Amino acid sequence: MSTDAIKLMINGVGHSVAGVTAGTTLLTVLREKLALTGAKRGCNQGVCGACTVMVDGAPMRSCLSLAANCTDQDITTVEGLALDGALSSVQQEFVSGNAVQCGFCSPGIMISAHALLRGNRALTAEEVRAGLSGNLCRCSGYKKIVEAIVKASETRP
Amino acid sequence: MSSLDTTETGVGTSLPRADARDKVTGRAQYIADMVRPGMLYAAIHGSTVAHARIKGYDCNEALAVPGVACVLTGKDFPDGRMGAFIKDEHAIAKDKVRYLGEPVAVVAAEDESTARRAAALVRMEYEDLPVVATPEEAMADGAAVVHEGLTDYFKVFPVICGGNIASETSIEEGDVESAWDDCDIIVEGEFETPAQAHLSIEPVGALAEIDAEGRVTLWSANQSVFRVQANVCESLQLPMSKLRSLTPKVGAGFGNKMEPHVQPLVVQLALKTGRPVKLILNRVEDFEIVRARHPFKIRCKTGARKDGTLVARELEAILDCGAYGDDSPGVLGYSLLMSRGPYRIPNCRCHGKLVYTNRMRFGAFRGFGNPQVTFATEQQLDEIAELLGIDSFDLREKNIMQPGDRWFGGGEVASNGLAECLGKAKAASDWRAAGTRAPTTSGTRRALGVAACAHISGLLGTGAIVRLLEDGSVVLNTGAVDIGQGSDTVLTQMCASTLKVPADRVAIASPDTDGSPYNWGTTASRVTYTTGRSVVAASEVVAGQIKQQASEIFECAVEDLELRDGGRVGIVGVPDRELTYFEISARAHWAAGGPIVGSDTWVFDQPSVDPKRAVATGLPFPQIGVYSFGCLVVAVEIDETTGKTEVTDVWSAMDVGKAINPGSVEGQIEGGFVQGMGFALTEEMVFDGPRLVNPSMLDYKVPTTLDSPLEIESIIVEAAEPDGPFGAKGVGEVGLVPVPAAIANAVAAATRCRQRRLPIIPERVLNGMLEQSVEN
Amino acid sequence: MELVKPDSLDAAVDALQEDGAACLSGGATLVAMMNSDLVAPDRLVSLRNIPALRHVRYQADGSVVIGAMRHHRETAQETNFRDGQSVISEAARQIANPPVRNMGTMGGSCAFFDPAADYPPALVAADARFLLRSSEGHRTVSADDFFVDWYETALKDGELIEFVVIPPAHSGSIGNYTKLARVSGDFAIASVALVMAMEEEVCSYLAVAVGACGPKPARSREGEADIMGGRLDNSAIARLTDALDALLDPVDDVRASAEYRRRVAPRMVRQAIRKAQKVLSEVR
Repeated sequence: MSTDAIKLMINGVGHSVAGVTAGTTLLTVLREKLALTGAKRGCNQGVCGACTVMVDGAPMRSCLSLAANCTDQDITTVEGLALDGALSSVQQEFVSGNAVQCGFCSPGIMISAHALLRGNRALTAEEVRAGLSGNLCRCSGYKKIVEAIVKASETRP
Repeated sequence: MSSLDTTETGVGTSLPRADARDKVTGRAQYIADMVRPGMLYAAIHGSTVAHARIKGYDCNEALAVPGVACVLTGKDFPDGRMGAFIKDEHAIAKDKVRYLGEPVAVVAAEDESTARRAAALVRMEYEDLPVVATPEEAMADGAAVVHEGLTDYFKVFPVICGGNIASETSIEEGDVESAWDDCDIIVEGEFETPAQAHLSIEPVGALAEIDAEGRVTLWSANQSVFRVQANVCESLQLPMSKLRSLTPKVGAGFGNKMEPHVQPLVVQLALKTGRPVKLILNRVEDFEIVRARHPFKIRCKTGARKDGTLVARELEAILDCGAYGDDSPGVLGYSLLMSRGPYRIPNCRCHGKLVYTNRMRFGAFRGFGNPQVTFATEQQLDEIAELLGIDSFDLREKNIMQPGDRWFGGGEVASNGLAECLGKAKAASDWRAAGTRAPTTSGTRRALGVAACAHISGLLGTGAIVRLLEDGSVVLNTGAVDIGQGSDTVLTQMCASTLKVPADRVAIASPDTDGSPYNWGTTASRVTYTTGRSVVAASEVVAGQIKQQASEIFECAVEDLELRDGGRVGIVGVPDRELTYFEISARAHWAAGGPIVGSDTWVFDQPSVDPKRAVATGLPFPQIGVYSFGCLVVAVEIDETTGKTEVTDVWSAMDVGKAINPGSVEGQIEGGFVQGMGFALTEEMVFDGPRLVNPSMLDYKVPTTLDSPLEIESIIVEAAEPDGPFGAKGVGEVGLVPVPAAIANAVAAATRCRQRRLPIIPERVLNGMLEQSVEN
Repeated sequence: MELVKPDSLDAAVDALQEDGAACLSGGATLVAMMNSDLVAPDRLVSLRNIPALRHVRYQADGSVVIGAMRHHRETAQETNFRDGQSVISEAARQIANPPVRNMGTMGGSCAFFDPAADYPPALVAADARFLLRSSEGHRTVSADDFFVDWYETALKDGELIEFVVIPPAHSGSIGNYTKLARVSGDFAIASVALVMAMEEEVCSYLAVAVGACGPKPARSREGEADIMGGRLDNSAIARLTDALDALLDPVDDVRASAEYRRRVAPRMVRQAIRKAQKVLSEVR
């Protein structure tokens, strides 16, 4: 069942991962082979969004991505967002704006938020709502999450 | 964070959460993220039949799978039973299965996929029994009995039960029978609410390991390390001292993680294998075998005089208990206690039955039966208002409980901010002008709806330990699990404010049954109020010891000393005569008096029923809690083409006594609203007989960002609870309670058609609108 | 299970010949089903490394040719649709949510064919054609014929979708796609894809397909022909919705009852036509 070791580029670091079968998802490899447990397994069906990672600059479901099919892609997980330990502006806004409750959805939301903020312009609440519609949160009611991202889009350098 | 003044981090400020950084960077560890050396992974073999006797097991095929370490069945488990009110549940099915998916065997293997593969290979031999899928079926003559041993089970209160009736409760105040004659109008109706899934984004899981002495350490996703300890030890017949229960970060619990789920299974596997064992449910299992909100059928009758004065109420509720009692007797009793609502209705009678069926167990879910009865009672108030031509707010304002009024049953209510909640929600929503506002999109009908409510915070035992460390910093230890709602932060702020230290000088210990004082759990909206009281009391003990030390150093009276911001103690009126906590603690540790530790425990003990005022039978809560109040106004727009309802604006005024952390209070109100809106509009666990048809997030739909209004105005009302910490009472549930009722009232106002069944899906609304247009 | 990643169409078709082989496009559906143990192909043929499948081409006649591996996001943002072709991008915009639109592809979605999905009615309304390729060569199938029955398409074993042709739409037409779902991004309870043009008060072109209300998108060409060339008054629209109603064959599921679907679909059609009328009159 095992294929040869596969090579993955994650958060700018190359990894060689052995024991990955054809059906192994990227989420499983991140969590179980690389101890990158930021991405969460909430539903394993691509619905909840807790496993969202950035693939070649676009947010995608790591639970629906087969690891062996991601070998030439540039993958960013939540662990790759805080550069040198400094929180990104949106991470900071989530902390100071009380936008984090249980935190289980937060890693996926951070990825979607970073994708939204790449346009480098102030976002409207409607744009943020649309951009986050694939990340379910059961705690917050979303209001503070949307506000934090809008604020980050307005204030970041 | 730099050290800030108490006023910037203490009570009343929206202090950011200490664990938020870990959560936004992916560092926070949840149960599924944990790994122990030599750990095995477990998987469950669930019953494929809903009601049957177990005649035999064949585990040979499963055991033969390479990598399988252990397969356990009911025969390998002790005979202990657990249950919050009725001890009716084994750790795993023994002799009988009572619902689809009920664990009958568990497998531990070297990896998860091997464990799951092997679990599927367990062969069972069943003798089918007739299935009772609904309360009606279960109450029918000659129905199959779900628990033959019910009368012999141990119960924690005098449960009225028999056959498939797990519990029966009634409460009566006044004289309802003759009161109907005093009514000018009476409205009567039947209401129905479905099962709602908690759907914490984190599925449940647990990890157990044992030491050489056989002592167990257990981590799990939970709302109470102490309830986990009690349930596991009861069901596995272990001395409680043999088990240490801990918690990693919890990916939310809305009641589903309060009582046990898979903890007993991993403990037994760890005991048998001697190795750490972890079990994380997949989403289907999490839907099928944890627990969900009870389906309710409610018959409600309310009478009033022409001037709008409420006179009488009668309410009858039938609850589907599912296969095991769990928290259900409590939900029944509590929902009935809430059936009068926060109103003066002199004659009120309610009665309810909790019925065992062959469905998954139903249990605690944010609101605890209150949203269901409120859905009925608050709609009837609008019906009365409409029939009498009285404004909905006016009718409520005329009848609300006033300060000093007692709760239904006679329990005292020490603080009541309901009038202010109504006034503020009405003003903020510009209620009077509501009719003049056009919908934001054409082809829709817009209307506002209102509902008021109350909810308790309280119940049972709690404690806190506050320790001053050698350097003058503080460790707070309460045993209360922060499930994401932010109690760690709130309790820290209370401790910091009491001791006048910046919040970042207070660390909060992770709950641990070995080291934390008892805490019944993070449930019943209780942590801020009950644990907060202990935190303040224990902090005051520490403050007293600090002053005692200072009085000995300064050779002055304790009464002449004061605590000063920044963690100093000094002589009143003499600014330069002061000592730091470091100096005090050093003396205590090394020279005199001994290390400074303050502790406090208490149990909520105000009676919920006054026998001189009311007669209650089968009520499980002799002492329940203090009351938070609320009033919610929503604006809905209904698509005339499809009947789909969208909530556009929300004004939620909630009396929380004192907002210790206003940002977190808003988070509870906003999150509670959207979860309640899901219950009202989109969520339904659909059953086909005993089988759950939609156990997946593809088919069970919770609101997304695009379905949720951003215009949620949280209005914090602070009617201080006299014995609450800083005046605070709970906020975790009250914000959800009125949501289905307020939305239903708005839908009725927009369509002239009342929805008595949840969820209010487009189909029912469109049918209602079409019937209306035919009639007119 | 093995995963192969051919870098040409021919190699992909070859790889598909084996029993138990399945195409892996975006993974949004197939991997979800694998995770739930609903399918377990012996061989996954990833189409990622075949650049031609990712492209969109614009033909001189105005046709837009969409590679099977084109992501929903790209189709949603397509700026070269003319006239009523935009019904396709309108539908793409309403599929699921951003991360899924970044992964899912037109070919993958159509090959799986959930009748409650968004592309099928839009493609039927747009008179799209599928170009299918196998070891025996290629063939063209109209969208009408491609979608056969619940989860069943005209694809044969060993055959894959190479691209989908969106032909030029009637000049001056507009396209719109309306979806009713329990929550945003969910599969439809009912959906309506519409391409329409008006000349003064007269309907010069109309194509309507109803999704999620039967085993395949419902479209009544007779009903459309009947009202083209006339005024779009209530009775004309009622004739069309009656003709469509005869084609609906909805079922009860967790999203809605069959009865409701039957009731709401004609209302949505009427609403979509009225909305298009308004837009077209404003354009004039």
